[in-house]
Amino acid sequence: MRILAALTLALGLTTAIAPLPAYAGPDDGGSLVVASIGVARHFNGAIQSGVATALPSTQLFASPLQYTEDWTPEPYLAKSWDVSEDGLTVTLNLVDNAKFHDGVPLTSEDVKFSIETIKANHPFQTMLAPVSSVDTPDATTVVIHLEHPHPALLLAMSPALMPIIPKHVYGEGDIQTNPANMAPIGSGPFKFGEYVQGEYLRLDKNPDFFIEGLPYLDEIYIQSFADPNTLMLAFERGDVDMIPGLSSPRDTKRLSEMDGVTIDRETGEAIGAINWLAFNTKKPPLDNVLVRQAIAYAIDRDFITNTLLQGFASPDFGPIVPTSPLATDDVEKFDVDLEKAASLLDEAGMVPGADGSRFTLSVDLTQGNEEMGRNIAEYLRSQLKQVGITIELRATPDFPTWAQRVSTYDYDLTLDQVYNWGDPVIGVNRTYLTSNIRPGVIWSNTQQYSNPRVDELLLEAAKENDLEKRKALYAEFQQIVVSDVPIYFLNVVPVSTAHKSELGGVPSSIWGVYSPLSEVYWQ
Amino acid sequence: MSVVSMDKSPSVAEPAVVLASKPQNPQVEALLLFLRNGTAALGLSMMAIIVVMCLIGPGLYGIDPYAIVNVPFAPPGTPGALFGTDFLGRDILAGVLIGGRPTLIVGCVAAAMTIGIGVLIGCMAGYFGGWIDRALMKFTEFFQVLPALLLAMVIVSIFEASLLTITLAIGIVGWPQAARLTRAEFLRIRDLEYVRATRTAGARDFYLIFNTILPGALPPIIVASALTTGGSILFESGLSFLGLGDPNMMSWGVMIGQNRNYLLEAWWTVSIPGIAIFLTVLAISLIGDGINDALNPRMRKR
Repeated sequence: MRILAALTLALGLTTAIAPLPAYAGPDDGGSLVVASIGVARHFNGAIQSGVATALPSTQLFASPLQYTEDWTPEPYLAKSWDVSEDGLTVTLNLVDNAKFHDGVPLTSEDVKFSIETIKANHPFQTMLAPVSSVDTPDATTVVIHLEHPHPALLLAMSPALMPIIPKHVYGEGDIQTNPANMAPIGSGPFKFGEYVQGEYLRLDKNPDFFIEGLPYLDEIYIQSFADPNTLMLAFERGDVDMIPGLSSPRDTKRLSEMDGVTIDRETGEAIGAINWLAFNTKKPPLDNVLVRQAIAYAIDRDFITNTLLQGFASPDFGPIVPTSPLATDDVEKFDVDLEKAASLLDEAGMVPGADGSRFTLSVDLTQGNEEMGRNIAEYLRSQLKQVGITIELRATPDFPTWAQRVSTYDYDLTLDQVYNWGDPVIGVNRTYLTSNIRPGVIWSNTQQYSNPRVDELLLEAAKENDLEKRKALYAEFQQIVVSDVPIYFLNVVPVSTAHKSELGGVPSSIWGVYSPLSEVYWQ
Repeated sequence: MSVVSMDKSPSVAEPAVVLASKPQNPQVEALLLFLRNGTAALGLSMMAIIVVMCLIGPGLYGIDPYAIVNVPFAPPGTPGALFGTDFLGRDILAGVLIGGRPTLIVGCVAAAMTIGIGVLIGCMAGYFGGWIDRALMKFTEFFQVLPALLLAMVIVSIFEASLLTITLAIGIVGWPQAARLTRAEFLRIRDLEYVRATRTAGARDFYLIFNTILPGALPPIIVASALTTGGSILFESGLSFLGLGDPNMMSWGVMIGQNRNYLLEAWWTVSIPGIAIFLTVLAISLIGDGINDALNPRMRKR
């Protein structure tokens, strides 16, 4: 793919419309090549989760709200919004100049349709579950009625989670098979250009975007790469301008040593991926909390983050990523203490046998992830041997086999990476609620962890609109879960963005580059 | 009756005695030729050292290959870690010593399987000929046209990666060569006069195949099995390098596979087990060449 580097030079000729005079007006035009690992099933983020869909979906569709880097909601399609005193109604006042790419004006009907579609089809069921009905008193007003207060709703209106899709395009027939999923019509800063399956998706500037003067870029290519190594080489050759979702410490280190490359490491906090060690809490001897705590004390988290991950990932101590406003660091940290671990195991009645081994546990892991999977598993084997626990690695041939084993509780320990997705209601509750012990469903409560107080706290916090009270409820939840150790938390999986340094305006939102790239420009 | 028989009558354990006396039978002659061959003797002594080190080395060295004994990536020569440490800080020397065991076991067992299946199929095809030959050779071709590494990867991926599945996989993909070799030898030998004579004397198929023809066909097969052992070791390393090794066995290939990402930062983590593989395969090749020379009638005339 030839992306005209010359275009960048020619930019001076086109006069910028200078929309946001806050800084020296960035030049218009140019094209951007963004890499994507894996191929999106389609580009309709209203019915499909995952970053491969979110990246194009957030360019094609606008959403009611946007989020800044400090978790503050900002106007997008909704120029203002209001949550009622009792928390049961949320009113959105839409902008009046938004149009879909086919020229049809965007109205409150489309927002109502989108909310209903997402509620019925999106994999994140808890996101809009409390929505009982949506009213549209006029073309620019949307009134959302809730069964109970639902503080997660505002975050669920982010570009990555609530694309507003046109009713006149998606309203007919089964939305899952709607051809417009592959060639969407939205109201976002970029419109669908061309898609070559498995190669690239071209997005063209939307000249009628409702925010005047934006976007700056003429086109965006989202190029698919099947293999991270090929992607790295393409970036080093200069064929790719931006890599979103960079998490490998090795690759991050390699790119940070390159000239003319900027790596934004403090983005995408809302995605909130945590790398953790999950326990099957119903399987002896792991049903004994003392055994689980002993394992937690035996592991040296600092060794993992500083040495194995070379300092490119920060430690995580609890179920909510530390960058979330709802996180607390007032939890048991389980600083490494081998003597304490050994005495806890003795107390649990697990005494060493003649060969010095107390018992054997298997560790499952998915294939392909070396740095945050296999290397850590190898470390666990060496480390836990010191307290008399023999670890066997169970090589899983493929992802479905692993998912099958873990979701049917045929495992002892497993390494896994699970996403917070912004609000605990969306991405955290599923792992701990007793009601979510669902055999056969991966990323449900596969630990079979059950604590009535935790259930109570989570349900209460989901309905608490007062931020301080909500924080207090989640603080107690985090303390209980951390000391019960259904999961030992290892590290935050970085979601960095690597891009050429000439690129300006790269979103610093909590959603990272899974948000509109309308303000991105070439310097 | 046979050139090389499978029975143990010529004692390998007493070469000195044999050397002293005037060589009488072909086996002893072959052994002498083998031992006089400098490179073969070198190979044999290298192999002997490697085997002894793998057997008693871990016990003598006493360091657990899985224990974190030092800082990660300590270079070779660090006190307490002669060959350096890997990405976790585990001792490379301890790993190399213990890693020889699974490596050699996989190599030998897989080679035995390869030769076993190959010889059996080759015997049948070459001896009976006709439709049996055609059917068996079509079957062999079927395996021959499949890319060996890919097929082995598929087998290991479908079943879990363990020492057993890896050995089986190597055995299953490796046998066609041995089958073709055996078949060719059988086709050459089966109509020789001594075979005809035995047949005329009333020998049955089974006797003819295993007691009359096979001994004559053995020399190239023996050489092939030596080379196959080396090949199997390389194959196991290749699979492990691709991440398909048995994660609970520290073989040389697994060591390389686990450390390959750090090749540029810490060459010793990959190079040292790599050298171990190289030396072992080299020793086996030298032995194979030596056997070839010793069993080759033309060499004997010199």
